[in-house]
Amino acid sequence: MECGDCQEFLSEYLDGETDIAVSTAIDAHLSVCLECKTLFDDFAVILGNCRTADQKEVCPPNPNALWCRINNVIEAETTEKADEPVEPRGWFVRGRKFTYSQIGSAVLAVALISSLLTVVAVRNYFEPTGDDNLTRSSETQTTFEKVLSSVGLIDSPEDARKKRVAEQYAVIDYWNKRIQSRRQQWDARMRDAFDRNLREIDSAVHEHMITLEQDPDDELSGEMLDSALNEKMNLLREFSEL
Amino acid sequence: MAFAPQNLKSVQTTFLALTAVVFFIALSAADVDAQKRFSRTYPAGQNVRLELTNRTGTVTVEGWNRQEVQIAAYLEAPAANIEPQNLSGTIYMNLVRDNQGRTDVGNVNFTIKVPFTSVVNIETKIGNLSVSNVRGSLVRAHISSEGDITLTNIGASSVSAQNGIGDIFYDGEIQSGGNYRFSSIRGSINLRIPFTASFKLVATAPSTRSINLGPFSGGNMRLVGDGRRIAGQNGTGEAALNVMNQRGTIAFIRR
Repeated sequence: MECGDCQEFLSEYLDGETDIAVSTAIDAHLSVCLECKTLFDDFAVILGNCRTADQKEVCPPNPNALWCRINNVIEAETTEKADEPVEPRGWFVRGRKFTYSQIGSAVLAVALISSLLTVVAVRNYFEPTGDDNLTRSSETQTTFEKVLSSVGLIDSPEDARKKRVAEQYAVIDYWNKRIQSRRQQWDARMRDAFDRNLREIDSAVHEHMITLEQDPDDELSGEMLDSALNEKMNLLREFSEL
Repeated sequence: MAFAPQNLKSVQTTFLALTAVVFFIALSAADVDAQKRFSRTYPAGQNVRLELTNRTGTVTVEGWNRQEVQIAAYLEAPAANIEPQNLSGTIYMNLVRDNQGRTDVGNVNFTIKVPFTSVVNIETKIGNLSVSNVRGSLVRAHISSEGDITLTNIGASSVSAQNGIGDIFYDGEIQSGGNYRFSSIRGSINLRIPFTASFKLVATAPSTRSINLGPFSGGNMRLVGDGRRIAGQNGTGEAALNVMNQRGTIAFIRR
């Protein structure tokens, strides 16, 4: 008999259910095979224990009552879970409930805002804000631009112009300081030419300022003012090299 | 020691002659000291570029039918330093840089001859600029303060003339797709261009409102800002023509 055959019949052999031929063959194999003999001994011990174990340890005092208690506990937990609200998953919808109309409105709002921002970005890309708003007036602002400027998203033309003029004057101050330190080294002809040109530019600036005070929406004066201030910056910068 | 009357007369004549000689020598020496001459010639290809930044003095650039650039300059005392550079087909002269830190620099009056097809970019702080017979892609003349700009017989697609106080005169083509810009603070801007030129025009004279379109008036031109600006187009408007004179006049003349 092979080990496999022996182990297959081992349980029946222990229970005394094998016929004589098989029992004889098993006996013969167990006498020569240590592995199967060890397995046989283990099985025999387990079966012996089972037969001799205290009945109290195996069966509860009242199995039906125990099962009822377990069943009640399971049912109670299941009911509690069913009563609890189901928490939605995901950060956006966690703890929120939206109606279809709310979701629809939100989608429309997002679409509208992104369209507006795209339009603003495209306009700013093709028409730089400095020159654009500076030389324009509120009269030529589109409704869309007026809305954006009223909510503070973009500067109104007048605000943009004031900001730009302030920036230009800051640059002019810088170059003026450099000129003051340099002009002592110029000859009289150079100084005279510089002063004459500066006076002309200042006169032009003054004229445009007055026109803009009277009519802040005068685009042309805004543009000319910007140009005159640029001329002044250039004159100062170019003479500061000398 | 006594001289006979004849000898005395001879001494006087000799003395006068010597005095005259000394006077003329001294005069010519003073003249040499007052004005030095600078000249340089460079071989040039078709697309040579001239970049000149002068301090004070006149600059005259003329196109000619030779493949070389000839620079001649008269330097008034105290003479300026001139260090031209010829780099990759571009001739650079920057007298502001070359004389940095100097307080006493006299006028430098240039006469430069360049091939017809040259690119010309000239600047000065004070002084007249003149360019003629040039057909390169760019002609730019810029005066920081005072001086007249005269551009005659120009065939460039990009022209820029800018000064402070002074006149600007342009006599040349308006090429299709070209860009032409003339700007002054105070003076007269006179543009002599072909009647058939095709351009979009923005001409602004905010202070004087004196814009005389001449043969180009009417048609597609309109007044803007109470006549301070005229905008419109002549022909199909293929070139861009921008003219601005803060406190001066603008006039167009038929070429």
